Amino acid sequence: MLPRVIARSYVARRLALFVPTLLGASLLIFVLMRLVPGDIAQILVYQTGSESSAIQERHIRQIRAELGLDRPLITQYLDWLAGVLRGDFGYSYSQRRPVNEILAERLPRSLELALLTLLLAALWSIPLGVISAARRNTWLDYLVRVLSISGLSLPIFFTGVLILYVLVRFFRWLPPLEFVSVLDDPVENLKQLIWPALAQAYYISAPIMRLTRSQMLEVIRQDYVRTARAKGLAEGRVVYRHALRNALLPVVTFIGWWGGRLLGGIVIMEIIFAVPGLGTALVQAVSYRDYPTVQAIIFVMALVFLVLNLAVDLLYGWLDPRIRYA
Amino acid sequence: MRRLLDRAAWFARRQPLGAAGAVLVTLLVVAALFAPGLAPHGPKETAFAPYLPPSAEFPMGTDHLGRDVLSRVVWGARLSLYVGLASVLVGITLGALWGAVAAYLGGSADTASQRVVDSLMALPPIVLALALMAALGQSVTNVIIALTLLLTPTAARTVRAVALGVKEHPFVEAARAAGCTRGRIIARHILPNCLATYIVLVTTNVSYAIVVEAALSFLGVGAPPDEPSWGGMLTAGTQAMEQAPWLIVFPGLAISLAVFGLNLLGDAIRDLADPRLRGGLG
Repeated sequence: MLPRVIARSYVARRLALFVPTLLGASLLIFVLMRLVPGDIAQILVYQTGSESSAIQERHIRQIRAELGLDRPLITQYLDWLAGVLRGDFGYSYSQRRPVNEILAERLPRSLELALLTLLLAALWSIPLGVISAARRNTWLDYLVRVLSISGLSLPIFFTGVLILYVLVRFFRWLPPLEFVSVLDDPVENLKQLIWPALAQAYYISAPIMRLTRSQMLEVIRQDYVRTARAKGLAEGRVVYRHALRNALLPVVTFIGWWGGRLLGGIVIMEIIFAVPGLGTALVQAVSYRDYPTVQAIIFVMALVFLVLNLAVDLLYGWLDPRIRYA
Repeated sequence: MRRLLDRAAWFARRQPLGAAGAVLVTLLVVAALFAPGLAPHGPKETAFAPYLPPSAEFPMGTDHLGRDVLSRVVWGARLSLYVGLASVLVGITLGALWGAVAAYLGGSADTASQRVVDSLMALPPIVLALALMAALGQSVTNVIIALTLLLTPTAARTVRAVALGVKEHPFVEAARAAGCTRGRIIARHILPNCLATYIVLVTTNVSYAIVVEAALSFLGVGAPPDEPSWGGMLTAGTQAMEQAPWLIVFPGLAISLAVFGLNLLGDAIRDLADPRLRGGLG
């Protein structure tokens, strides 16, 4: 009976941490956005120009009152939070439409890009990591290790720009003007997303490869692997059936954890390859100082990040009972 | 001198990749220290024709404003290293202090500080930096501030975990029994025992800080455009990369080699500092 209670309390503990962390993060963003020199009211008014400064001043005050920017910070925050709980993220001044619309349009694209990136990275880095461990200290191992550490050293924006250069210079590739949804035309969609996904996959494959390698080396030393060898199993069977399965557990959770960190890189990839996703919307909103949009996008990114981390923790606890009872 | 060379040879045998990293890092440091003497022209000097291809006079060509790319790459080493070192030293030191104090105090102070760390780490790093730069405005100093805020929570979490272990040692109890104040115990007993972790954090994060600086400048929110930031040069280069590919190749290579060298050296130092990790990574 006892283990189940402990297991439940592990889940409860993880869940209990989730909400305060999200609130803390949202408060942080909110305060940050208020530190911005020059608020949206000033920008809106100064953009129109031509009016005398007295009229401009009045105009600014009027807009601030309309947007509620003249009220105390904590009231503004609570209002915003109440809106978020109702699923209302406010109005985007730079795009002149509700932020919800932007999120609904852009979030799926960015998530698709992230998913594609992880898939590509896992597809080549796990086999390479296994080979590197199985052939430890051979030229193959050194090659894989140098490749992986060079992958980590090439900043994603440089890899991205190089790929873009090759595409543009030698294949006359141009970023499509319109985004094609995977539901409408999967091939067109893939043509657009495959390059940013590849560029970032190369970067994140390095840590996955390294982790797979070190996990395999760890597992191969275990008693049950020696037993498997001792009872005369073929080496391939030992490596793939006995060692790999156990080595992959941390790798899988690590990939999930990277999924969240990927969001930063996604922003850069979207900018380079002109993918109209959440990242491009964020950079654009930052340059317009469009608080509601910036706030909403960062909040959603933090939410995705936290949900992924939570899922990874719970998955890990479920797969490896030692964690739950620790 | 002999002994120094012997030591270097020992290190090179022990850590061949680390030695290669050390060579690259030495190049970076020399370029950073002696930029005024090494660079043929000033980093902001615009006295030449734009988009000149690489030649004997301009080994890396000139950019869209007619500035010598080689000079900007050399000065860029100084900017990168300055931002990297300053943010890492400030950020990791603050984080280490934070982590050690939280671990030693424990209880609600520790819990509260952990929630702050969680909140800071709930935002993807580049995104947090982007938001910070939007709030602070574009400048080199603000990049350092943003990076510091990025690095502090990571260091706080790592050092806290180590300090929690250190705290349980009998010598800490002995110090408490002997009547040491809290401050003295943290400063004289907890922190010195976190030194290995601190060194590893510093060496492994310099390259990270350099990449994030370049990424921010690349996105146009980091160093102002006239500063010789490798990331900023790369962005400017993408505008005309078909006609002038040297504008993306050289700054990009500079970042990559610097980061590659720092990673190799950092890994080697980590291996030497923490034998438990030896052989597992890299």
